[in-house]
Amino acid sequence: MGSWLGATRAAAHGCRGNGGAAAVGGAGPGAAERWGRRGAARRRRRRCAALLLAMELSLARVDYLQVGVTSQKTMKLLPASGRKATQKVVVGDQDGVITCFGIKKGEAVPVFKTLPGQKIARLELGGALNTPQEKIFVATGSEVRGFTKRGKQFLSFETNLTESIKAMHISGADLFLCASYIYNHYCDCKDQHYYLSGDKINDVLCLPVEKVNCITPVLACQDRVLRVLQGSDLLYEVEVSGPPTVLALNNGNGSDSGEEIVFGTSDGKVGLIQITGSNPVHKWEIGNEKKRGGILCIDSFDILGDGVKELLIGRDDGVLEVYNFESADDPVLRYDHALSESIASVQGGCVGKDGYDEILACTYSGWLTGLTTEPIHREGGSGEELKLSQEMQSKISSLRSELEHLQMKVLQEREKYQQSSQSSTAVSSVPAFSVNDKFTLNKDDASYSLILEVQTAIDNVLVQSDVPIDLLDVDKNSAVVSFSSCDSEPNSNFLLATYRCQANTTRLELKVRSIEGQYGTLQAYVTPRIQPKTCQVHQYQIKPLSLHQRTHSIDHDRPMNTLMLKGQFSFAEIHSWVVFCLPEVPEKTPAGESITFYFQNTFLGTQLESTYRKGEGFFKSDNISTISILKDVLSKEATKRKINLNISYDINEESVRYTLKLIHPKLEYQQLLAKKVHLIDALKELQVHEGNVDFLLPKYRSILEEADQLLEEYKKQPAHLERLYGMITDLFIDKFKFKGTNVKTKVPLLLEVLDGCDQDGLIAFFEAAA
Amino acid sequence: MVQSTQDADISLLNINQGITCLTSGVLNPQLGYDSLLVGTQTNLLAYDVHSNSDLFYKEVSDGANAIVLGTLGDISSPLAIIGGNCALQGFDYEGNDLFWTVTGDNVRSLALCDFDGDGKTELLVGSEDFDIRVFKEDEIVAEMSETETITALSPMYGSRFGYALSNGTVGVYDKTARYWRIKSKNHAMSIHAFDLNSDGVCELITGWSNGKVDARSDRTGEVIFKDNFASSIAGLVEGDYRMDGNTQLICCSVDGEVRGYLPGGEEMKGNLMDASAEQDLIRELSQKKQNLLLELRNYEENAKAELNTQLKEADGRRGVIPANTQLQTALSVNLGSDSQSAHVELCISTTNDTIIRAVLIFAEGIFEGESHVVHPSLQNLSGCVRVPLTPPKDVPVDLHIKAFVGYRNSTQFHVFELTRQLPRFSMYALSSPDSAAEPLSYVNCTMNERAQRIVMWLNQSFLLPEDAELQSAPFQVCFTSLRNAGQLCIKIKPGGEISISTDDIDLAGDIIQSMASFLAIEDLQVEADFPAYFEELRKVLVKVDERHAVNQRLTADMAEHSNLIRSMLVQAEDARLLGDMKNMKKRYIELYDLNRDLINQYKIRCNNHTELLNNLKAVNQAIQRAGRLRVGKPKTQVITACRDAIRNNNFNMLFRIMRVGTASS
Repeated sequence: MGSWLGATRAAAHGCRGNGGAAAVGGAGPGAAERWGRRGAARRRRRRCAALLLAMELSLARVDYLQVGVTSQKTMKLLPASGRKATQKVVVGDQDGVITCFGIKKGEAVPVFKTLPGQKIARLELGGALNTPQEKIFVATGSEVRGFTKRGKQFLSFETNLTESIKAMHISGADLFLCASYIYNHYCDCKDQHYYLSGDKINDVLCLPVEKVNCITPVLACQDRVLRVLQGSDLLYEVEVSGPPTVLALNNGNGSDSGEEIVFGTSDGKVGLIQITGSNPVHKWEIGNEKKRGGILCIDSFDILGDGVKELLIGRDDGVLEVYNFESADDPVLRYDHALSESIASVQGGCVGKDGYDEILACTYSGWLTGLTTEPIHREGGSGEELKLSQEMQSKISSLRSELEHLQMKVLQEREKYQQSSQSSTAVSSVPAFSVNDKFTLNKDDASYSLILEVQTAIDNVLVQSDVPIDLLDVDKNSAVVSFSSCDSEPNSNFLLATYRCQANTTRLELKVRSIEGQYGTLQAYVTPRIQPKTCQVHQYQIKPLSLHQRTHSIDHDRPMNTLMLKGQFSFAEIHSWVVFCLPEVPEKTPAGESITFYFQNTFLGTQLESTYRKGEGFFKSDNISTISILKDVLSKEATKRKINLNISYDINEESVRYTLKLIHPKLEYQQLLAKKVHLIDALKELQVHEGNVDFLLPKYRSILEEADQLLEEYKKQPAHLERLYGMITDLFIDKFKFKGTNVKTKVPLLLEVLDGCDQDGLIAFFEAAA
Repeated sequence: MVQSTQDADISLLNINQGITCLTSGVLNPQLGYDSLLVGTQTNLLAYDVHSNSDLFYKEVSDGANAIVLGTLGDISSPLAIIGGNCALQGFDYEGNDLFWTVTGDNVRSLALCDFDGDGKTELLVGSEDFDIRVFKEDEIVAEMSETETITALSPMYGSRFGYALSNGTVGVYDKTARYWRIKSKNHAMSIHAFDLNSDGVCELITGWSNGKVDARSDRTGEVIFKDNFASSIAGLVEGDYRMDGNTQLICCSVDGEVRGYLPGGEEMKGNLMDASAEQDLIRELSQKKQNLLLELRNYEENAKAELNTQLKEADGRRGVIPANTQLQTALSVNLGSDSQSAHVELCISTTNDTIIRAVLIFAEGIFEGESHVVHPSLQNLSGCVRVPLTPPKDVPVDLHIKAFVGYRNSTQFHVFELTRQLPRFSMYALSSPDSAAEPLSYVNCTMNERAQRIVMWLNQSFLLPEDAELQSAPFQVCFTSLRNAGQLCIKIKPGGEISISTDDIDLAGDIIQSMASFLAIEDLQVEADFPAYFEELRKVLVKVDERHAVNQRLTADMAEHSNLIRSMLVQAEDARLLGDMKNMKKRYIELYDLNRDLINQYKIRCNNHTELLNNLKAVNQAIQRAGRLRVGKPKTQVITACRDAIRNNNFNMLFRIMRVGTASS
């Protein structure tokens, strides 16, 4: 599309985030002045603080090489060998190629490269305990292969797993492997232990055997639990705040005790837990206030050179962070750098030049990028600088010639392809490209974010939905969005929007707001800028109870409404219905005879308990609307399969009052906030006119003082009040639906009461309306 | 002018009206310093800040939406040129109205620029009808159609100028050719030309609604510098604010944060981005290499797939389709049915059993956003998609079509991309000459052209069912508008005489302009008559007079009332001082009533004023339309003559001019 808007390439330059601010300084010291009237001093202070930190750790970015698309945790640095201090890099990509290279004079020099094969899911280093860990192990499909550091294959171990391996850990002769739900422990390639997890396993780790003296594997499972095993049995579960995606030993060795592990979650949190023999001890946790991406990789490395290892974190929005510890339990963010795509693996070491430590990151599309302590412009003689740019020049010219060669070849092939379109028997296949997608519910604003990442630049994305949903604006997203008119009949389109991306956009983030009870499918058609042009469609389910999230426990003292199902259905059937209704439920039917899941409504804070087995199911919630939605969807699903369901419910009048009391403070707060925000402009006008605000009532003065925070908060939760109104209205309708009365005519009255914002009045209205 | 109470170095000047535009500069060369010019919806004030006095205060009935100060063409003294509702007006320092002309729609932006390189400046006018017009004094020398309201114009260098649209586009033109443009999801609040990297050429600086400021190379649009503010940018200016002899670029945000930027020094060599430019280049090259490798691999895999030519179910899912699949498009006029209004139909179909999953059409100006999507539900999938199009304006539009082709259960689709041009007058369907009464209004002119050339123009501009048979003059073609069923007849008589009959004066103007540019006609005088439109215009003119009268009466009333208020207030206060509370109350109640009356009157005045503005706009538009029926010199003549007729209140003369093009018989 770029061509018809002229130089769209230029726009992308504007979007790539490298330090424009530094250039201001470059334009002459003090070239940029600020005469901010309001808040400028504060801003300046903040800038200074940022500057100080940056002085402590300033890293220069170097791009070394690009391999194929990589999975999480597939890049490692080999230990330095002999007298050479620089380390070799080994990386496995989704084409199945393992590339090992070192850096000589800024150029990547390959050590070995294997032939393409199945996708590499994990790459780990191993070796006999207490010797350098320099054997390379990769997990591809259901197989584990071992290579020496010279690239000679010494092991090919076909496991008995039926699924492909998702996670791997190696410790001496012990091999820990995980497929989706299955954990397997091998010792010298002999099967030792086996465990079936309740939800998907994202990562596996084993506490260092030399320190804890027994094999203690830890599984990071999607249901927000770390499962600590002993042999084939569960020792205990550790509840964590989000779905854990990655595990690492603290300090690389589990600290002195060997029991400390760091975990990262898909909602961007990081925590440290000590896994003792009997119970877990939570040490610290870093929240995700800045709403950055989920954690994909963690490493410990002393990049500051202060003798203490810092924590390196790579996120799926391309942010790389360095935390250091002033005390053992207090991580402080010291440095961050934003790359344009998700960071699949990270490790600290010495790669580019002897004597300069660096952080090496491997991104989704296979870029190996170093953040090095080596200054880019050395201050030594001018000769060295010249040399550096010569290196660059030669690199650029060799790349250019390579490109020319490739271009020729591509032209030939393109012609051949065009010719084939004349033949009537030939077929044209679509090139496969990989799309890294993530569709998750954000707890903070009860909206879904859809992240699409492609190995090459995205041209456009078409978003289509057959349920009414709202598409929200995302600041980071620079694509030009255009909404098309929709025809809900006969084509059931409720949303049709195109995102035309600026050049070089490989990652696109969208935000979607759903309404509980309205369910269907969201489809994204992703078209990248590669020839021949193709697009891939990805589907995402908007579930009936889309705003619910799994939790570990609920408050059993609340007044609950119960929905009971009885009928001739199997455990697997009712489980599939629950999967259909609720997010974050594992697709696999749980082991055992019955199961209980707890959920929380991220928007209202109401809860849901679902317990079911073969032939019966119980759903308890303090929110009548939740029960109502479940009842509708479950009966519809059962009818579809021609199963006779006996549905009964037990409605607790008290629960409505309780839920209203639960919602009311939120409602009141939002109404107040809206009122305050409404006043800000008028008050500011007064302030400017009168010169001071001494004459104002304290409450108005405080609004002026907090104006910035208020506005920010208001902006953060668009349509929050409207959503609350909608949900209270639903509650009202549902309450009376269970009684068999239709109160839709009374809704305007209800809205009036809501505007009045009086809790007792609201409750009275709910009770009197019958 | 009042000194501000809080800040000694701020002086306030209260205008008592909403300010719509503001500029400063040398208006009176003898004065030796700048004057301040303030435009409001009704007035223009030229103000001498040094002596704290008015230079002039002029009523401008067309309002002042934009203002620019400078010399124009051969007019010797500097002018303050304001753009209002369809009108442009230029005043010298004495308030003499030395320049006046009309333009197609409300003016939103103005700039002065030496457009044709003759050493004299021309006036660029951006208006709400998406056009940038270039005036060489009062003659239009060029017109560029954009896709949205032009919100800002900025001269850059020579004949080069920057522009910004209300949909987030900024770009640079050199004469009539667009150098580059970019579109952002944010809005450009202000643009300015400034040489930030000291390379001798101004960059286009843009202040965005999200607080970003960027400087783009005038040639490529490449970003050479950027900075971020916490809130939307309010404005960009340049000046030697610190009085140290260095001109700075100064940016201000709506929060009141102001930053100044000095141009980069010589040693920067125009490179303001950080030193990793080479890194970026390497990255870009590597990315290119990766893309090429990917493409190569695609062809390899395709070759592999070709080895087993049997199409299987699984292949369909992966998106394997026969290589000879083609996408066909056809544009036609659909006269509509009961459920659907008449429209232009774009039919997209495949040549075999493959289906079209979705169609994306990117085009400017004919959809709500920049794109339109057709996404049939699963049960409605087929190999053919019909897209109804209804372009709101008669402009040629490029349709960039992307169709996703595959099979019913595919998860990957081939993307067929192609571009079709929608002819300028596609919303007119060919009809038989005698199907309806010929419109009463007409434009007659003589063009010394062969009929074949006109047939070529017809073929290019209209959606004709099959190529119109080559006819020798005389011949006649008739069309029906799909928008309002209006008739259009084009008659070619022997001797090159052409007659265009339509009741739509805009359409007639569009056709004349389109023919003139296709046939490269420089000057064209016509004879035109639009009885219905002229009658309407006459009514409008009468209304304008009425409104003026009402306005005067209301103003007189107001003056009277204010006298009344004064006396009542004195009486009331007297009563209060005398302790006569009863009388005081009475007076104040009367005063209150009077106040209410005044407010009501004010509302009437407001309504009256808006009405007046609308009518004046209609008059200006009429003049512009009369101009558009002609080309070149006759066009300018008509506009000037019309203006004179209006000045002299000679309506009959006005209509005569509109009909025959000149005042004299």
